[in-house]
Amino acid sequence: MSDVKKEFVQLLANYGHVGFTFVASIIIGLGGGIYLDQKVFDDRTSPWFTFIGLAFGIAAGYKTLLEILWRNKEKEEKPKRQD
Amino acid sequence: MEHPILFISIILEKLGLPIPHGPVGHTFLEQLCAPYMTYTWLVMAFLFLVSKLTLGNLEMIPGKGQNFWELVIGGMDDFFADNMGREMADKFFPMIATFALYIAVANLIGLIPGFMSPTSSLNTTLALTLIVWISHHIIGFKEHGLHYYKHFIGPVWWLIPLLLPIELISNLARLLSLSIRLFGNIMAKETLLAILFMLAGSFFAPLPIMILGVLVSVVQAMVFVLLTVVYFSQAQAHAH
Repeated sequence: MSDVKKEFVQLLANYGHVGFTFVASIIIGLGGGIYLDQKVFDDRTSPWFTFIGLAFGIAAGYKTLLEILWRNKEKEEKPKRQD
Repeated sequence: MEHPILFISIILEKLGLPIPHGPVGHTFLEQLCAPYMTYTWLVMAFLFLVSKLTLGNLEMIPGKGQNFWELVIGGMDDFFADNMGREMADKFFPMIATFALYIAVANLIGLIPGFMSPTSSLNTTLALTLIVWISHHIIGFKEHGLHYYKHFIGPVWWLIPLLLPIELISNLARLLSLSIRLFGNIMAKETLLAILFMLAGSFFAPLPIMILGVLVSVVQAMVFVLLTVVYFSQAQAHAH
């Protein structure tokens, strides 16, 4: 593989999963909230846990997003420091 | 939709073994003969036989086969060492390299008519992901003991109710995103190819999708391996 192609594939590998991870966090948060509302508390607390779960899910999504950014920033800065 | 022709299933059917008609069989034998199982065995046999044939006798001056494997293994080794350090790379190289080779071959095999990707079944990808997810927790626990769980509760005690759910959700999201991403990409590729073959197979309509399919297969195998490496190194490095 040529260098440009290699870099392209690496970039895709680094950032291609951003969207999916974000959505997965939100789905897990929302699903957990709905489960708490409907199964654990028998609809007595609805819709509060759904909203709380959604909020936590979105927060977790942003956290994973920032983690990916920080990780790649660190990796980019490392070779520069060695110069 | 018309079922794609899978030659292993046809051979097994001729031999009198039950082939499940839904996605999952009912009896144990039916589950064993499900296409994703048989093609998993095929990929395993392929990897085993090819490496056995090309690496049967190692030589000082590598021939064609050995040269290829040295390139592949050397490239992966460098990649792991870059991302998680020499020591970790040596320790987990067999596991992650096996995943990489298996996923890459399993993705690419689906491009050949008559074959299917075992990774286009959620069962396969979820199994792979569970292994990675559980082993990254084991690595963290082995490295730091109970301190490993400290990074789940954040730096200060009054942030625990806020940070604990966030950390738990983002950790569980790894499980979901890692498995469903691989499954979704490969399943989409397979389905699209099947539909295009059915609609305009004689006009070479699936060809552009096949070219994209090669890219998707390689990139998805690489994403899986890269994330495995990242999770392992994070679990090992977490020392707050």
